[in-house]
Amino acid sequence: MERFIGRRLLICIPTLIGVTIVVFITIKIIPGNPVASLAGINSTAAVRAAITHRLGLDQPWPVQYFDWIRSTLQGNLGTSISRQVAVRPLVFSALSNTFILAGAGAVVAFVGGTLLGLWGALRHRHRDGSVADSVAALTVAAPQYSVALVLLVVLTVNITAFPSGGMYNSSGGGGLPALLDHLILPAIAVGLAPLGVIARIFRSSLIDVMNQEFVTSLRARGLSRGAVLRHAIHNTLPSLFTVAGLQIGFLLGGALFVEILFTWPGIGQLIFQSISARDYPVIEACSLVLAVAFVLLNVIIDVGHALVDPRVRQ
Amino acid sequence: MSAIEIPIGLMSPADDGLPAGEVISRTRRHIPLTVIIPGSFLGLLILAAIFAPLVAPDGPLAGSIADRLQGVGSPGHLLGTDGQGRDILSRLIWGARPSLLEGIVPVAIAGTIGTVLGMVASLGGRRMHTLIMRTLDVFYSFPAVLLAIALAAALGAGVVSDIVALSIVLIAPIARVAETEVSRLRSSDFMEAAKASGASWPTIAGRQVLPNIAPTLLVYCTALIGLAIVFAGGLSFLGLGIAPPQAEWGSMLNDLNQDLYNAPVLTLIPALMIFVTSIAFNILGDGLRDLLDTHSETGQ
Repeated sequence: MERFIGRRLLICIPTLIGVTIVVFITIKIIPGNPVASLAGINSTAAVRAAITHRLGLDQPWPVQYFDWIRSTLQGNLGTSISRQVAVRPLVFSALSNTFILAGAGAVVAFVGGTLLGLWGALRHRHRDGSVADSVAALTVAAPQYSVALVLLVVLTVNITAFPSGGMYNSSGGGGLPALLDHLILPAIAVGLAPLGVIARIFRSSLIDVMNQEFVTSLRARGLSRGAVLRHAIHNTLPSLFTVAGLQIGFLLGGALFVEILFTWPGIGQLIFQSISARDYPVIEACSLVLAVAFVLLNVIIDVGHALVDPRVRQ
Repeated sequence: MSAIEIPIGLMSPADDGLPAGEVISRTRRHIPLTVIIPGSFLGLLILAAIFAPLVAPDGPLAGSIADRLQGVGSPGHLLGTDGQGRDILSRLIWGARPSLLEGIVPVAIAGTIGTVLGMVASLGGRRMHTLIMRTLDVFYSFPAVLLAIALAAALGAGVVSDIVALSIVLIAPIARVAETEVSRLRSSDFMEAAKASGASWPTIAGRQVLPNIAPTLLVYCTALIGLAIVFAGGLSFLGLGIAPPQAEWGSMLNDLNQDLYNAPVLTLIPALMIFVTSIAFNILGDGLRDLLDTHSETGQ
């Protein structure tokens, strides 16, 4: 198992290097000149040259890339142009808020998805089983921002059952109960589509497993329905883990949009504000941090996968 | 915001949910409802978009502020008016042009590039395989939405940059599906025969492989169009789409969202439009899979 984790981490390194190159190139192709915006419209050529030199923008790209990597590794993510504060605390507090939202969305997706999938699989020859399938198929295609809007319109504008945005109460914060109250709707919006995906995969792999011979033999030996089901579900875990890995990107990506609608102070909102303010250091840092987090989360999922399915370790 | 990953899940043969044998035993092919219904809806939508000047009751920009935020079903405005008094139905029809374009064109571009990359990776030898697939892994290591946002922001707002950004995002998943499909074929008898007859690998790719993987890729790409429409709507919603006064579903969502508390129901209209169109492409993809019976050779 240790060797598996070590090998999996080693594979990450080229991927992470590739990620930094993509982020770097993306920033380099951005039209608009950061020097001009820093120096102001009426600046002289000499001032601009000085700023260009100070930012290292007169160096060739490979040199700039390695400078950027070095300062990033030292934890320096630069200064926000629009806010004039260090980018790092900005990005990391936003990232943790995004993780809270995406994590809650994951709970919604996983609990709801397995229940819906279980229902669809156990009743797949009955009418109510097909209802479960249709629900799953519908949620799969639901854009998370559409779901968020529907929830906003129905549950906060028409009936004020839930707060319409933010993370805590505007006065006094309100601690954990307020956080949960603010979290419910955006978490549903983030988690609904992955819920459908998990339900569909869980249903089909459970039906698949239930048709295998070992299940028949367990039944023949007189195991109870629940016990048979437990064995069957254990055999669906590998495919569940595969989907879960794919859904992480989905949860994080969906959170970006939902945050904007629910004014959740996460990475999505930060990127949204930074796009309108043309605050490129912040966009750059957000993309980099989110991509690195994504790569590492995938390692965790793979390790979990290897824990439930020894075949993967080879 | 469906993820790129979904259609792969939908593609998996096990997803039929049918016990082994049921698919194989189906011999007669009739066009399933899952092709007819979404197909006719999308056909009508595309026709409406092409003939927008004839179909739409109003121009996309026409309207006076005095008529702002009329409700659904008000006289002369079947779906109401937006915050600037423009007819929402007309804007939906005009907006279908960029919205459909941003869904279909990136999938066509990425489908072509991705298929070629997948075939080259699978047939072009070990080194080529490593080079292409590891490079694609890098693109896979960004959440798709983030990559689309970052690229679209970098390229500047506009329909063209959205199309470019979405094409880049979609290449990796399509190439991966193509590569998997080609690898499944590689050991089959007809491939061995073609190789033994001395055909060069570009010939094999074009004559033997492409016709065999085309149905699967067609099904996959159809479902991806739905996803691309959702992504494109999201990008415009963020202000990275078409320039403001023009109509586009995502930017309409952005406009109407500002009047969420005055006219909540109106905001849902473009959101539902994106949802219904995207799901129509998804169902069409499922239906095409049944129709073309891809994967039936696996017996699952």
